[in-house]
Amino acid sequence: MIYAGRYDGVIVQNATGRQGTFHIGLMNAYAKEIGGVGVVAGVAPGKGGQQVHGVPVYESVRDAVREHDANVSVCFVPAPAAGDAIMEAAHAGMELCVVITEHIPVHDTMRALSYARLKDCTVVGPNCPGILSPGECKLGIIPAHLAMRGHVGVVSRSGTLTYEVVHELTRAGIGQSTIVGIGGDPVIGQTFVDVLGRFEADGETEAVVLIGEVGGALEEEGAASTDIPLVAYIAGRTAPPEKRMGHAGAIVEGGTGDAASKMKNLEKMGVPVASKPSEIPLLIREIV
Amino acid sequence: MRLLEWEAKDIFRSYGIPVPEGRVITDPKKAEEICSALEGDVVLKAQVDVGGRGKEGGVLFADPLSVADTAETLFHRTIKGVPVERVLIEERLEILHEYYLSITIDRSSREILLLFSSEGGVDIETLASERPDEIRRIAIPPILSEVPAFAIRELARGAPREIGSIVSRLYRLFREKDAVLAEINPLVLTPRGLCAADAKLIVDDNALQRQGISVNRSLTRREQEAERHGFSYVELEGDIGVIGNGAGLTMATLDLIAQAGGRAANFLDVGGGAERERVMHAVRLVAGMPSVRVILVNLLGGITRCDEVAHGILDANVPQKIFVRLAGTNEEEGRRILAEKGYRMFDTMEQAVYAAVGVR
Repeated sequence: MIYAGRYDGVIVQNATGRQGTFHIGLMNAYAKEIGGVGVVAGVAPGKGGQQVHGVPVYESVRDAVREHDANVSVCFVPAPAAGDAIMEAAHAGMELCVVITEHIPVHDTMRALSYARLKDCTVVGPNCPGILSPGECKLGIIPAHLAMRGHVGVVSRSGTLTYEVVHELTRAGIGQSTIVGIGGDPVIGQTFVDVLGRFEADGETEAVVLIGEVGGALEEEGAASTDIPLVAYIAGRTAPPEKRMGHAGAIVEGGTGDAASKMKNLEKMGVPVASKPSEIPLLIREIV
Repeated sequence: MRLLEWEAKDIFRSYGIPVPEGRVITDPKKAEEICSALEGDVVLKAQVDVGGRGKEGGVLFADPLSVADTAETLFHRTIKGVPVERVLIEERLEILHEYYLSITIDRSSREILLLFSSEGGVDIETLASERPDEIRRIAIPPILSEVPAFAIRELARGAPREIGSIVSRLYRLFREKDAVLAEINPLVLTPRGLCAADAKLIVDDNALQRQGISVNRSLTRREQEAERHGFSYVELEGDIGVIGNGAGLTMATLDLIAQAGGRAANFLDVGGGAERERVMHAVRLVAGMPSVRVILVNLLGGITRCDEVAHGILDANVPQKIFVRLAGTNEEEGRRILAEKGYRMFDTMEQAVYAAVGVR
């Protein structure tokens, strides 16, 4: 288990929006099932005093933490205001901010991450599905019913592809310690390096599945930074250059970041690379 | 979205970055008039949104006598399949030296990266791989509104002092215009001082609206239509139409198709919350490509309602055969709806892909 556990209090930013409301319900149902604290407060400027699934809503993060014990925020604030929301969470003393929002302008993300670093606030995302430690805590939108508690970590730039892989692992009887979606944007708070560092320090995690995509070199940097046994999968082998494949970060630019060279670089470091998602459990069995 | 050279130069000029004297024309008959106003030899540059324009004959030199014919020639060319509809005519610069200057975003440090080289005019990626020491780089924390003086000294040591003010202005432009790349290659030293002979500016797609750009021109017409529905869509060259949810899963689906020996016609990510109407539009959009023979739908969601998806597929009512892999809430109901109408349903994406590729 990394980043957070069952005793961490959670605040949801933009609690009254469609997504925020829906996922407060799911996160708290999960917390109840496993005996965790879950979402203790919501924030929505202009909607203070309302309730969402019995959770009180406040005008600001600062107001919410005055009344509740919380150190984690999950952010569903729409893109134009999301950079500001991250800074607000950091300013109010949140230790961890998980940003689900997609399509945030990259300059806003960069500035918010810079500010959060000054305030010692760890940011996961943006444009990510969040964090799930089966049996411990759920921060974000990863469907809990696909997961099973165990000793394999999962770290990924994708959303649904992560669910696919987690589902494959569970079906093969391989449980997960923590599943982290780091996000599909070119600039993200926690990279593979950061997450793998946490997994390495985590007593429960024996091996990690790294799910990457075309674009950038974060996968290679991550693999080079850790000693923990890894299995990798890279999506986008057929992605044409200069075309954004859905994620803002998934683009092969200037001849760098294509899947073939990523896979080759990883294999050179001794990391087994799965040719398709269904191969991942087999490769994990070989190293654990 | 990548701006055209003349648009980028207009913006550069408004930030006080020196650019060559010139005008854009849409009619070759205007060339002579512009040329005589510029008083001397000129360069004619096709304004097309493709890379490597120079090698494809998109940049031509002329003198006042030949400019009319040269303009005619250029307007009749297509550059990498793109017809030339606009031409930028500029004064021909007297080049004493060529530098390289660009600002971009460094994914690893999450900072703004300044790059400078005293060897401009060449392909920067080639220079980076062959002689990386020739490129100086410095990362600036994005909360700084100005480039610190020491950073400019470090970056452009040995180059004309004037470069400092160009770096500062380009940095301000980069931040205010939501750029992901601002590049001057070459930055030319002339007897009159420095001048941005070329200008490249790419604006963050997530910031187009607040930059007042309503249409992303880098997209094809079908890609623009997809964008209106909130889909991420890329056209490819195969015959299997693909609809998925999530960029990673959809890319993985395309990869599996290629591994199975097939070729995908497109990438379409319907995004989160695949409701009935969205699915219908997605299926129709893909089916509307003449090359599409079969369609593969691969939707996996914690919150995607499979019954909605199933109705969306039926509503689309397209002639092509559709192979469906559905997993999520109300899965049984979704499968029943489609199975009743004779659709083939699959438990895993691999099964669905092999079946779709197998159709001949």
